[in-house]
Amino acid sequence: MADSASGTADKSVQVKLVLLGEAAVGKSSVVLRFVSNEFQPNKEPTIGAAFLTQKCRLEDRILRYEIWDTAGQERFHSLAPMYYRNAQAAVVVYDVTKASSLEKAKSWVKELQRQANPNIVIALAGNKVDLVQSSASSPSAASPPESEDEADDATATPGETAGSPSEPESLRQVPREEAQAYATEAGLLFFETSAKTGEGIVDIFTEIAKKIPIEHILAATRGTSGRPGASGSRVEATRQPGVNLEEDATKGKDACNC
Amino acid sequence: MSTISTALRHFKEPTKEQLTEIFFSLPPLEPTGDASAKESHESSKMDINAVLSLGETEDSYAGKLHIMPPYLAFSSLDKKSVRFTIPLSTIRRVERLNARAGVYALSMSTWHGMKIIVQLTSLRPTADLFCSLLRDALKVELQRGQMKLVKNFVKTCYSEVLVSESSTSADNEREDGSLIPDEKDGTTQEVTYHGGLGLKFKFPGDPKKLREASKIKLWTTYLRTHGRNLTLLRYPQCTRLVQVGLPNRLRGEMWETLSGSIYLRYANPGYYDRLLEEHKGTTSTSTEDIEKDLHRSLPEYAGYQSPEGIDALRRVLRAYTYMNPDLGYCQAMNILAAAILIYMSEEQAFWLLEVLCGRLLPGYYAPSMHGTLLDQRVFESLVQKYLPIIHDHFQAVDVQLSVASLPWFLSLYINSMPMVFAFRIVDCFLCMGPKVLFQVGCVAILKINGEQLLQIQDDGQFLNLMRDYFASLGDSAHPHSSDPRARAITVFQELLLVSFREFSVITEDIILAERRRFRGEIIHSIESFAKRGAIRNLKTLGRFNKEQAGLVYDALYKAMCIIPPPPTVAPPPSLFTTGEGYEEKPETRIGLRTFKQFLSEIATWARDEKIVMNGFQQRIDREVAEHEFIDRLFYFWDVGCHGALSFQDLVSGLDGVMFNDLMENIEWFFNLHDKNKDGYLTKDEVLTLSESFLFIFRYEVGDAYLGAVSRFMTNAFEYGDALLPQNNKSSDATDSRPTSPAPIASNQPYLNLATFRMVVLADEVLESFFETDLSESFKLHPLPEMELPSSNSGILGDLWSTIATDSNKKMFNMFTDEIGKTIGKHQVVNKPSIGRYTKLEEPKARESLLTPTLRKSLSKMSLSSSGRTTSAPLSSSSTLSVNTTLEPPAKSLPNVPDSGSLSAMPMLQAVNAAALMERTPFAIDDAKDDEDDTDDESLDGNNNDDQVMDEVDAFLEAHDSGLTDADKAVANDLLHAEPLK
Ligand SMILES: Nc1nc2c(ncn2[C@@H]2O[C@H](COP(=O)(O)OP(=O)(O)O)[C@@H](O)[C@H]2O)c(=O)[nH]1
Ligand SMILES: [Mg+2]
Repeated sequence: MADSASGTADKSVQVKLVLLGEAAVGKSSVVLRFVSNEFQPNKEPTIGAAFLTQKCRLEDRILRYEIWDTAGQERFHSLAPMYYRNAQAAVVVYDVTKASSLEKAKSWVKELQRQANPNIVIALAGNKVDLVQSSASSPSAASPPESEDEADDATATPGETAGSPSEPESLRQVPREEAQAYATEAGLLFFETSAKTGEGIVDIFTEIAKKIPIEHILAATRGTSGRPGASGSRVEATRQPGVNLEEDATKGKDACNC
Repeated sequence: MSTISTALRHFKEPTKEQLTEIFFSLPPLEPTGDASAKESHESSKMDINAVLSLGETEDSYAGKLHIMPPYLAFSSLDKKSVRFTIPLSTIRRVERLNARAGVYALSMSTWHGMKIIVQLTSLRPTADLFCSLLRDALKVELQRGQMKLVKNFVKTCYSEVLVSESSTSADNEREDGSLIPDEKDGTTQEVTYHGGLGLKFKFPGDPKKLREASKIKLWTTYLRTHGRNLTLLRYPQCTRLVQVGLPNRLRGEMWETLSGSIYLRYANPGYYDRLLEEHKGTTSTSTEDIEKDLHRSLPEYAGYQSPEGIDALRRVLRAYTYMNPDLGYCQAMNILAAAILIYMSEEQAFWLLEVLCGRLLPGYYAPSMHGTLLDQRVFESLVQKYLPIIHDHFQAVDVQLSVASLPWFLSLYINSMPMVFAFRIVDCFLCMGPKVLFQVGCVAILKINGEQLLQIQDDGQFLNLMRDYFASLGDSAHPHSSDPRARAITVFQELLLVSFREFSVITEDIILAERRRFRGEIIHSIESFAKRGAIRNLKTLGRFNKEQAGLVYDALYKAMCIIPPPPTVAPPPSLFTTGEGYEEKPETRIGLRTFKQFLSEIATWARDEKIVMNGFQQRIDREVAEHEFIDRLFYFWDVGCHGALSFQDLVSGLDGVMFNDLMENIEWFFNLHDKNKDGYLTKDEVLTLSESFLFIFRYEVGDAYLGAVSRFMTNAFEYGDALLPQNNKSSDATDSRPTSPAPIASNQPYLNLATFRMVVLADEVLESFFETDLSESFKLHPLPEMELPSSNSGILGDLWSTIATDSNKKMFNMFTDEIGKTIGKHQVVNKPSIGRYTKLEEPKARESLLTPTLRKSLSKMSLSSSGRTTSAPLSSSSTLSVNTTLEPPAKSLPNVPDSGSLSAMPMLQAVNAAALMERTPFAIDDAKDDEDDTDDESLDGNNNDDQVMDEVDAFLEAHDSGLTDADKAVANDLLHAEPLK
């Protein structure tokens, strides 16, 4: 019970991050790429949410991400609040080759902005860009060098036109500009990513790290014996037990705060 | 885009009878619409006090014998020591025994010759009645030809092989129970019994360590004397043998027997194959979801690295969704199915899955997952009750138990701990019921890991701690003990022992009570979550704020509860999958009938309200109005031409009328009637429009409105004719002189908006209607909280809800009406929808220069000013003072205290639990004290059986036969009694 809190070292700051998005947009793949720098059909069945951790260095500070990769099936939606409550960051993923997935992403963003921690940092990630790039274009600097072709397995999204020199852009259903404009308007970080090539993956997490009010979290951790997720603003007494579908306690008791 | 479901409202607490059926694992009866058939079925059911005896080795037990055709069932008084459910078709002989005077006893023989003796201890006539019911029911089974089916069915059961085999046991199987490929000659007879993937791909775990051979031996002995598969009698030994872990080979069959899914398989031969055949090639969202999960269901098991296992898994999951299209497929079902398929055939697994998802884990996998949420809440409440220190700590550091416990419940621990251990929990779960999940859960986390749990500060540490603990289940619980027997006890064994010893206080009844207690709360939170989502997902709120949109939602929801919309017609699956962006749940839309109900909540003229006075009470009887005008509105708002309206359509539709000023309202009303939207009304449409007026004004007191409508019609046709293009005159609106009307077709453009406006404004009554009354006739008010399906207020609430059902209220109303009529006090008045003009004579045209307040004072009836200014519909009923009883009271949601004081719990249990907690706060119990006889596991050899038995003994509980010594003597006598001649 001592206030050893969660940090392993003094310098490390713990950040709770949740991944949301339509099923099969590649949430688990994004996490896997970030945590162990590989791409493979995920073997771990996700019941509710999978929990992973990964450290991320930022200048002199080490961030320890606690990542909650939520189940994609729609009926698990009502369980999501359990995972995004107290989260300091969220990555909302959509699939650039599937227009409807952006709509779902927008709906998640709305929900987060209304129901989650008010200071939450949200990043929008348009995943699977590898599918809409001509094979010549090389992945961005952030991508790890290896594991590029071996990952080309049967589970990859159908319609993949390997190496066709012409216009693979035809697969694209969400123009970059459109998503970018939406992200700017909604105040989100924005990336196009590929869990397959690694493009943009690390960038999401480093950019989030930069935007997180670390000092704030540290202060909150030191001040209270509670966990950093509290950000100091949480009212513990009002928390209801059980899977909490109600809004985060910080939102107060508005009759209909949607 | 939102899906609105009222499914949770239809929940009904099971009746006592249903609870009995559930207790005995009976398959639900096929719902036959035939009421008389149902009734006759009811009358063939009966229970009776009885004493059960079986051979010399078992004690006799007092209990209740039930006849529930086509089953016979028994349960000892304590409801756990002894029980059975056997299909009547397995009974071959029933004889009345020649016994001491006053003793009424029956001997029943099963098809394999097992004799069960029951002494009916009720009064003689009762016993006679029971016997005649039993006789009738047996006859029915014989006629149905069920008796003949038994022999073939049991061939599918492995237990029959076991009991018929010579003592040298089977040669064709390995020690772990999997088959050795047939290399010998024809001695191995054709395998007819069902089995799982394990037969081919091996069963998980080391068979030596699992002591498979000893377990099989023990079971063989038990099954020989106590029946098996359809006829299994469950004596205490049975439960104990289950608690030490079922042998792999027998596991699948015991699972279906213990869970009762065997009765479904028995009653529906060939169903599984037919279902698959009928739906061959059918795809849906569910089948696509299944496809995604096939390769992540226990992928470490060899069977699921081969197409054989994957195909079996696919077929079973698909078949389940074919049979339950409303439930569809939910992630986690794949884990269950994959697990049970290791031990049972596809058909067995299919029926077990049905029992799991339908009865044992009710609502866990439903689209709202309400059962999961409910049991998580119950679990938390139990933790709070039995392990308050941990609960408080979790509250303090704001960690939710569910982050870890959700998958435990959803996938029966299979995903959380090594398979061999999870399957043993499944053994106990299927044998002893859902309480096991709670017992194990409580113990696993809270008791045994108590001290570490008090150190955790966040979700992540909690999860990691649990992960480590589950990984250590195979380790010794006391590695440093000097006693080798203590060292031999694994962490898992200790877990089970503690579960069943210390948490036996968590009974089935407690779980049921807790579920009842929290159901309302859970439904409420699911519904308000869905409501917030629906409102958030509106594309536009129009001019409404969120509260108001919430009121629209409430009215919609209520209407959907009363008149459920037809099931959303999903496009044919083949079309469905080609579109790039199909959703799992298409947007909810309501049809015309539900819309009428909805509108009657909101628009005063869309309902018929009769104020009834009968001298005893005054009430308003409300009915949904029917009129073409309402249909017209429905199609007017259906902008997407779906033939149905979404929540968004309703919000936008209401937005289009509720905020209008005079001119906008006139235009709105005009457009509503201009069907082809050409800016003109035809003559027919003018008539229809007039009818709409008459409909809206139908209950207005006095003839002011009637006069207004008739003037409107006169003027409309007068102006209309005057402006007809055929007249070759320049259409001059000021020219009011009627010209000779040329006959025109009724469907020709006739009246335009400008003219319509002019005609309307010429009349004071219509002007005020469009100025304020029309918009105000739409009212969003908070609806009274609808009664939730369960009552949270204990006995009193139950009582009240049985009295205050709708039909009882109706009866009461009818009754008082009748009396009122006889004493001449019965009176019915239609409540007006607008209620502004209540004079008996017409107002003069253009009196509308008067201000509304002046107008009010002109009305002849004395009106209560409050009714007048606030709500139009009440204004004319001022003398009646009806409203108080019917106005929605303040929200009356049953409030469940947050802290969840378990005051309803029996005191005794609370005290017990407190005592337990005091005794050993989180200290790991010294299990070795209770395990004195446990041998060192490494002392392998011949005493394997003894080892299993020792473990069995560890689960010894006191079993109360409920009999006195004298009773026992009688029961013993019966074992040797002769049948009556
Ligand atoms: N080509 C390509 N395929 C991807 C990418 N990310 C994920 N996938 C594939 O998309 C499918 C769904 O991925 P998964 O991570 O399970 O999605 P989740 O349901 O959102 O967790 C898998 O077959 C992945 O192999 C990507 O960046 N590029
Ligand atoms: Mg995933």
